[in-house]
Amino acid sequence: MVSRKVLLAPIDPVHDVGLKIIKRGLEEAGHETVLLQPDLQPEEIIQEIINSRADTVLISRTLGYGVAEILARFVDLADAAGVRDRVRIGIGGMAIRPELAAELGFDAGFGPGTSVEEAVAFVEGRDYVPGLAKNNKLKIDITESYTYTCHNSVIAGLLKQIAGIILAWTENRTSSGVLRARVREELWDIDRWRKYEKMTEFLEEYPRFCGEITRDFYLKGILHPKTRRFTREEAAALEEYIKATKERMEAPKLQHSLKKPLVFNQYGTGCPFMDTGHIKVSEAWGADGVIHFDPSWGARTEGFMDGFLTHQEDGTVITPANLNRIRQSLESGTLWQVRAHRGLNTPETVVLAGKFQADLTKINISYGALGAGTDPARMTVDGVEAIRYAAKYGLPFDIVTNEELCGVPAHKAFAGMLITAALALRLGAKPILQPLFCYSPEVMVGGQMKDNYVDFNVAKVLALRHIIDAPVWPGAPIGFMTHSEDRIQSSAATAYHACLAAMLGVDAITIASSDEAYSGGPISVPSKVDTLRAVGEGFRFFGSTRLEPSQRALDWSREIEEGIENVLRQVADRGDFVEALYRGVLGSREEGAYPGRNGRDTVMMV
Amino acid sequence: MSRILERIMDAIDIETFLVCSSEDEGRRLTLQLFREMGFKDVDIVFIQFQGPGVRLRARAYVHRPGDAYGWLKIGGEETGDGFPKSSAGSH
Repeated sequence: MVSRKVLLAPIDPVHDVGLKIIKRGLEEAGHETVLLQPDLQPEEIIQEIINSRADTVLISRTLGYGVAEILARFVDLADAAGVRDRVRIGIGGMAIRPELAAELGFDAGFGPGTSVEEAVAFVEGRDYVPGLAKNNKLKIDITESYTYTCHNSVIAGLLKQIAGIILAWTENRTSSGVLRARVREELWDIDRWRKYEKMTEFLEEYPRFCGEITRDFYLKGILHPKTRRFTREEAAALEEYIKATKERMEAPKLQHSLKKPLVFNQYGTGCPFMDTGHIKVSEAWGADGVIHFDPSWGARTEGFMDGFLTHQEDGTVITPANLNRIRQSLESGTLWQVRAHRGLNTPETVVLAGKFQADLTKINISYGALGAGTDPARMTVDGVEAIRYAAKYGLPFDIVTNEELCGVPAHKAFAGMLITAALALRLGAKPILQPLFCYSPEVMVGGQMKDNYVDFNVAKVLALRHIIDAPVWPGAPIGFMTHSEDRIQSSAATAYHACLAAMLGVDAITIASSDEAYSGGPISVPSKVDTLRAVGEGFRFFGSTRLEPSQRALDWSREIEEGIENVLRQVADRGDFVEALYRGVLGSREEGAYPGRNGRDTVMMV
Repeated sequence: MSRILERIMDAIDIETFLVCSSEDEGRRLTLQLFREMGFKDVDIVFIQFQGPGVRLRARAYVHRPGDAYGWLKIGGEETGDGFPKSSAGSH
């Protein structure tokens, strides 16, 4: 590399901090620098260029008024003095836009947000290549440092007893969901599917265990009325879009000085193409992971169709082809979660997630049965099978507790979560605890968040940590019920919750877009950028600051833990987990939890 | 649709402050503004009235999920789905 002589000149009355930072970067790169004082006239700067024999000049301008005039005058004078022929001149600063620099004939224009590395690259006459750290995001297993040791021996004993009860109950029961998952697991080969080989055995067996809509698809070729196939041209255009976008892609890190929490957002516009657009934007603005969100009717439908399908409602249809396309669109460092926590396709979703090499899934028997509409008996049979597949495919899964949004108190939702976690550990899977950071009906009525949104959320995390050494991933999304349709308020609410999560040292968070509370249409992609930027700014502001829990948070934490123990004791005493779900032990009708009806009477004795 | 509008991934939002005397008036003026600009699929995402007028964000969807997106330059024959009709489809 040739060492350059660089003159740095603020063509500005006062501001020169940016040039000072660049000066340090240039000197560290081995270049000689001269920094002029602010408030010099263009004529004086030209004279300094001549006197210093600089080969490169960097001019900066922060103040916006009169910028075009003063820069035009500088260029005219530089031309008249013959400087332009032998000196490369770049211009930068808050008042500079690249278009203006090009119009005036500068060799480069650097607007707001320019990095030191970009300026050094210009001086050295090479193309700017973003730093490796930006492009080299690596996947992190957020479960790997946890022992899953249960610190509360009473709760440990109760969980062991309840897990045993559930496994004994499911031992001689099955369902069409379980049988379909088995067919998918045993007869559907992803390599053959990718080669378009017809899997006759699969096609003969699978429709037998499907509902009418899906059976019609396989036997009569009838699509679900809300879906359509993509055209070949559309598919080809998508491939081009992904390829071109990946080539330009940078994946920045949001966490500033921290390693966690990892930041996830979910996609599920209904269309895998639009999802891909949203995913690429989310990655480009710093999301560490994305979550596949399926349509609500998918959870009530027995079986999956295939094909590259779109529809026009919230949630994207799970088909092998859709998952395959979305998987291919991801950057190598992006974590991918395919959620399977509810509905009649839970175990098969985990099988597909495993075969398409997802990184995570999502399962919770209690939430699926009490808050997501699936019959408790069916959800239990299917949930246990789903956990077995999660263990087999090495898929960690979070245990979402969204029944809190129905009105179930946190301690009851957590008892259900811990039961699913206990099953996971018994079956060799890796559970992740997902307390909600939310303004739930429980606290609206009880007043725990009357003063602030902090203490009760802190209490939840403390209670779980006091019980078990397990990863914690607040969701989903954080700040649920605190968002409004105002994107500023919504982004701020998300950022505050994210910062609280970071200060508690949790492992991951799921964030909403700033359209979270808007119900008039699909979530727009700029609204995803809004919250990612807000969270990044929050992480920058607080850095590694830690939070000291208040006495109130500590008191509530103890109350939650006692409540969990009490609920688990009731489940254990009843000796029947499914009956406990029906009877409201883990969330009652009065509280807003209604045992689901989808899949009722579909559990079969073996 | 103009070629530039086709590049909009999903929606175009306009944020501004309208001087008006009520939220209803602000809503009416906003929707009229979008119609005059030629947009059809329009909604008001956020509006807040205080004495001086309304702070608002209004939206026109250019591409809804499932549409043929201008930013992909698309249109043509359907893909196969592999099951059960053809094995020539695109995964």
